Amino acid sequence: SKSVSPRALCSFFFFSSWLPQAVPFRGSHWQTSLLAFRASLPVRAQPKKKKKVDVRREQAQKDRMKKKIKKLEKAAPEMIPIEDFITPLKYSDSNRVRSLPPLSFEESERRVLLMKKWCLFKQKQDKAEKKAIQTLVEAQQEALKELRLESEELYQAAIRRDEGLFPFQRDGPNYTPPLPGYDAPEGKCIDITKVYTQ
Amino acid sequence: IELEKSHYSDHEIRKLEEEEQLRRRKESLYDDDEAPGKTVIMAQDLEDKWEQKLLRFEAAPRITDADKNNDRTSLNRKLDSNLMLLVKQKIGNQELWLLPQAEWQPGETLRSTAERAMATFLGDHIQAKTLGNAPYGIYKYKFPRAIRTEDNVGAKVFFFKAFLQSSDLSQAELKEDYLWVTKDELGDYLKLEYLKKVNRFLLD
Repeated sequence: SKSVSPRALCSFFFFSSWLPQAVPFRGSHWQTSLLAFRASLPVRAQPKKKKKVDVRREQAQKDRMKKKIKKLEKAAPEMIPIEDFITPLKYSDSNRVRSLPPLSFEESERRVLLMKKWCLFKQKQDKAEKKAIQTLVEAQQEALKELRLESEELYQAAIRRDEGLFPFQRDGPNYTPPLPGYDAPEGKCIDITKVYTQ
Repeated sequence: IELEKSHYSDHEIRKLEEEEQLRRRKESLYDDDEAPGKTVIMAQDLEDKWEQKLLRFEAAPRITDADKNNDRTSLNRKLDSNLMLLVKQKIGNQELWLLPQAEWQPGETLRSTAERAMATFLGDHIQAKTLGNAPYGIYKYKFPRAIRTEDNVGAKVFFFKAFLQSSDLSQAELKEDYLWVTKDELGDYLKLEYLKKVNRFLLD
């Protein structure tokens, strides 16, 4: 093969270092060259001391970090601001205030009468709805009573809860029916809501 | 637009400022601060463009063809109210207009009977949601004396409600006599006693 594998090269070097048998084996990194006399005294105690201090320093650091973390955790979690309740400051500028003419007497009268008519209409509507619900419930109770007279087993089956009913989904009422063959225009919606983490 | 309890929106402020600018330009006569080569889209232009777009759009009409022809067999009529299916069925020796019904077979629940009735009249693959296991109403009648036996004096008809999910009934194998009617039109087809009981549990 053309390319020599690096492993082969390393092994070659290793063997070459074994040749001068008289040279002491390079044990620690304090000895820079193989043949030179030991320039710096390899004080054995020093590396150990370094380790101890390092260990102690590291431990002290860790403890400090842990204390900080505990303090932070003890502090009450920051409230997430509700975006809807805070009006942005730019909307309280004075140039934003509209200048409208004051309401005329007729207009205010019309509004009051309209409100009264609306109240009456809504009351009637509500009463009618409640009455309809009442008749509905009565009819169902009657039906269930008759069913019970017929057969107990069917009655029990009818009383059972229908699990597949909820969640119930139905398309909302539209003012106009959907246009056949209408191609809605494409649009891209980029969500810029801010997400807060506690 | 809500004028009384609102402030000016960004779009309106832009419009007002541009109107001011135009007015100032006209008064000061060719006192151009901005380079004339720059084409600026005014808020008014945008409003006109939106107006044009709205006028060009044509919504589908609320009163469909079936309404005009009073074709009661199509599902595309009376889009603002609920429609009920009526079929002509033979009971005894009479042909009557009824809400679709099927006889209960022992061994099935009432709800499954109702669903079977739906399947026979509207096809097997019908997407309808039955509302609940319990019946909504009941109509009981006695058989005419000729058919009465010791046990079978009469019959009870239990009614269930179901919503049709899809309006695609192309696979339905409906026979000729079927109608989609609103609650008010029920009176044209149903018998009085039957109608009274049915009206109790139908809304709208």
